[in-house]
Amino acid sequence: MTRVFPLSANGAAGDVMHLCVDHNGTDIQDLTAVARFGLKGPRATEWFEARGIDLPPVNRQIHLADMTVLRLGKQDIMLLADPLAPEPMSKVAESWRKNPTGYSSWREEAWAWLRVTGPTAGATLSQITTFDFRESAFDINAIAQTRVAHQDMVLCRTETGFDLLFDIAATAQVVRDLDAARKLEDRH
Amino acid sequence: MKILTCPMNGPRNITEFQYLGPFRAMPDPDDASDTDWAQYLFRAENSRGPVVEWWRHTPSNYVFLAERHLGTGDVIRTFDPSEGRPS
Repeated sequence: MTRVFPLSANGAAGDVMHLCVDHNGTDIQDLTAVARFGLKGPRATEWFEARGIDLPPVNRQIHLADMTVLRLGKQDIMLLADPLAPEPMSKVAESWRKNPTGYSSWREEAWAWLRVTGPTAGATLSQITTFDFRESAFDINAIAQTRVAHQDMVLCRTETGFDLLFDIAATAQVVRDLDAARKLEDRH
Repeated sequence: MKILTCPMNGPRNITEFQYLGPFRAMPDPDDASDTDWAQYLFRAENSRGPVVEWWRHTPSNYVFLAERHLGTGDVIRTFDPSEGRPS
């Protein structure tokens, strides 16, 4: 089977990624090529619970030993693999394919995944969204499904920054917007 | 900016939402007359007062119900369909 993924050797954002490495402020890492798995529909939660995978409340994430579990709705769950050890999550996805319940939400090819970290990551993101990024309103492991850079986006707050999941076709535009926001933040 | 409170995601800008039309009980398609079926599909009450409507929060693709006053535009409440649909 031929699989054309990611869209370019440097990740979905391609050549614009080099603009966004700034070790003093905001770093942007393209994790689009890292494995992930989304499941939706009736009994999706039961499928995970039957395999001993703990599920967080809606719009929260939990970190397990080798993957992160995102709860995006009552029956909408997504797993993100550990970028350094994706095999355990891939095994979960493989076991679902052998005995499917619900339906795949096709997150592995339809969505881009960017990780935004650094001391000014929150301030940079706040330039391109109306969402309240203050930690008092959006704490660690919280998920926000909102609009960022004119795109529908899933935002996850981690201890080091933010994971952004959105339509893969908008990757270059989002990276350029983040880069512009980073430069604006630097001037403040 | 107008704010609408999504039952699942909390208060958000109105630009994050899509209006899906008023809530209406669907007549039985096997028993309804052509007139009643056409009324259901193409006509909507335009009364001045509270009405229950379908809305969708687009980033999460979550569909819910909102009770809104058509005269003032004020949203009286928003709720998940599992909490009970109006008769």
